[in-house]
Amino acid sequence: MNRTVLFVGVAIAAVLLGILFLGLGKNPNDIRSPLIGKQAPSFTLREVGTGRLVDLATLKGKPVVLNFWATWCAPCWEEHPVLVANARMFEPNVQFLGVVFQDEESKILNFLQQRGSSYPTVVDDKGKTAIAYGIGGVPETFFLDANGVIAAKHNGPMSPDILQANLQKVMR
Amino acid sequence: MIAALGRILILASLFASAAGALLGFAAGRSRSLDGLNWARRFAYLYAGLIIGAAFLMEYALLTHDFSVGYVAQVGSRSVPTWVTIVSLWSSLEGSILFWGFVLGAYVGLATYFTRGKYVEYQPDAIGVWLSCAAFFSFLIAGPANPFLTVSPAPLDGPGPNALLQNHVLMAIHPPFLYLGYVGMTIPFGFACAALLKGRLGHGVLKPLREALMLPWIFLTIAIMLGGWWAYEVLGWGGYWAWDPVENASLLPWLTATAALHSIMVVERRGILKGWTVTLVQATFLLVILGTFMTRSGVFNSVHSFTQSAIGPTILAFLAVALLFCIGLLAFRIDKLESEGRMEGAASREAMFLVNNLLFVLLTFTVLIGTVFPLIVEALNGKQMSVGRPYFDSMVIPIGAVLLFVLGVGPALPWGRATSEQVKKALLPPLATAIVFAAVGWFANIRSFWTLLTIAFGGYAAHVTLGQMFLPMLQRMKRGEAATTAFVEGQLSRGRRRFGGYIVHAAVMGAFIAIAVSSSMRQQTELHFTKGQTQKVSGFDLTFLGADQRSEPHRTSIVGRFAVARDGKPVTTLEPRMNQYEGMREPIGTPDVHTTAGGDFYLALSNIDLTNQTTSITVYAAPLVVWIWISVVVMGLGALFGLVPSRRRAAAASQVREPLPEGATETA
Repeated sequence: MNRTVLFVGVAIAAVLLGILFLGLGKNPNDIRSPLIGKQAPSFTLREVGTGRLVDLATLKGKPVVLNFWATWCAPCWEEHPVLVANARMFEPNVQFLGVVFQDEESKILNFLQQRGSSYPTVVDDKGKTAIAYGIGGVPETFFLDANGVIAAKHNGPMSPDILQANLQKVMR
Repeated sequence: MIAALGRILILASLFASAAGALLGFAAGRSRSLDGLNWARRFAYLYAGLIIGAAFLMEYALLTHDFSVGYVAQVGSRSVPTWVTIVSLWSSLEGSILFWGFVLGAYVGLATYFTRGKYVEYQPDAIGVWLSCAAFFSFLIAGPANPFLTVSPAPLDGPGPNALLQNHVLMAIHPPFLYLGYVGMTIPFGFACAALLKGRLGHGVLKPLREALMLPWIFLTIAIMLGGWWAYEVLGWGGYWAWDPVENASLLPWLTATAALHSIMVVERRGILKGWTVTLVQATFLLVILGTFMTRSGVFNSVHSFTQSAIGPTILAFLAVALLFCIGLLAFRIDKLESEGRMEGAASREAMFLVNNLLFVLLTFTVLIGTVFPLIVEALNGKQMSVGRPYFDSMVIPIGAVLLFVLGVGPALPWGRATSEQVKKALLPPLATAIVFAAVGWFANIRSFWTLLTIAFGGYAAHVTLGQMFLPMLQRMKRGEAATTAFVEGQLSRGRRRFGGYIVHAAVMGAFIAIAVSSSMRQQTELHFTKGQTQKVSGFDLTFLGADQRSEPHRTSIVGRFAVARDGKPVTTLEPRMNQYEGMREPIGTPDVHTTAGGDFYLALSNIDLTNQTTSITVYAAPLVVWIWISVVVMGLGALFGLVPSRRRAAAASQVREPLPEGATETA
């Protein structure tokens, strides 16, 4: 028996398998946002339909659910009823706010008329807000506590359970 | 109905492979020819069953039978037929079934072509092949079952991953990759059989080399197709990003390339036997590691399939295979005694060893870079990624030295060489190296590594072309006519050698094209309004406007550009943004004008249909097309060397290996 081969082989195998084993069970697409724990980037954006300007700073005092979406994104359609229902359920303790990016206002209005809405939706015309929040794709949702600090973030469409689990982190 | 039939076929293939594996190993121990024959029958049975199951799935896809789980998951009535066909490998479960299909084909053909030959090694080789087959059939039967019944069956499905639908290359790249990946099971079987027997005789070297060469060719082409796809589809103007899954395809290629060279040393000098079987085993293990990377969800990549439960199962298989190999090597490596010894540093075998060490160094470099983020995250919880700077700074120097060795190695004779011989062999090519570097300098190349690559390429070109046509020139010196000398010396007798040097020449071409295209690339970002013309990288680019185009499965916004040079129209380019249903973001598709001299490449970053404005990135890079061409030539050269000439094939079929002791000839 060749002991060198055995020891070197087992050492390499142990290290490699150990690393791979530790890597199991995590979601590699779940890149932690560097914004978590930081003050949410400020913005003032125009509300769809009314044209009213919405300033994030004025929403301080209660938790905010900030949902980035677009009408061309099918997972957003899937998520929309969940948001509408939960916004109603948590009213007036939590403020929901939709931010639409890379989209046209007529399409957004159409979408909201057909599928209903229970919270304001603003348009991120030049995509500056999406850039400030580091949006990689829609939908992405940020959970802000009453002080305007980002406590949690979810990538992709949310089920009611995911939404409420994240809300727990900001409602205290 | 189809789902149930599929499940039966898979379970039967699991039984056939497991039984055949046991029979094979038993026949290897008892040296029973009857046992070997039964193992072979089970290998054929396995092949038939798993291939049948894959065809059944294709049938279900094409007939849109949404009661079959996998069809409900990836099928769609609105996608083109070619997309439906390639949907087989578009998602996790189907891709494992496709793996089984390819493995079935390889095992069936390998069993058939080795019939009556290599009887000493064949039972154990079949045992190893069918053990791997049993694992994959188990995966298909359980954790990744594509034949689940869906009730009630939906009327339509979502269609496969949009990236797969976006370019026809995606229909070709995965099959080549699987043919490369899965095919590595066959040489692995021979290497394990040699270790189990404790003998790596001359008899087994030929099947080992050929079984390694064929998947190597497929893997080579697959890696190139993957890069080409990235270049044509992803729109960042590059073809290789050191993405974990790209690395996963490169790792087994590196060890397989090393093994193909070390086998030649075993053939010629009878040394490096243990090393060679280790490389072949490492190749297979890296294939399984690559499969784990793409399917466990551990690595983040454009290639990864969604998170799945089969990660732990593949990891367990990797662990078993790894420990099996280590045990086998530890107990048997000393039995593969050397028949000769290394003669000196300035010999061809020494250069082969240097080449092998460089390939292994590259393998470790890439492997460490790939798993490093996992180590960091396991240790301190920080997320990070290892990118270009690490890989470029490590791989470019090693690659350059490798190219140098590619030039020096074939110039040196086997065995001991006098210093006179060494000087005569190594000095003249220096002139060509200097000429090449000078040409590069006058072509305005100032990057040190690119100039060095060109110089080493020139050196290697001198040696390679000299060696390539040596047999023909020798024949002509003896008074043969040029045509007969070419046919006899190059095409007929010297096929393997000629093929090998074609590969080397192509490697030089690829190295130079990669170095020049990446260091001379120009990147410009431009903003256009409709009708506007701008000058970029020697071309006049006019934005003709933006259109929307709708197809059943996607909506595209297309930017139309006229390209002209010196007032003469050259071409029209149409980069686009494709929005597929169910995708979170649109996928851009660039458009490329390719010429032998270089590529002119447009990618949209932003396009506005209402205002008819657009922002684009323009890449101009020389020689890109030569990368793809060189790699195809590598594959063709290797294929040329692999296919025996008619005369050699006829001679070989008359020679039969002696039977192992104690065996009797039955049929």
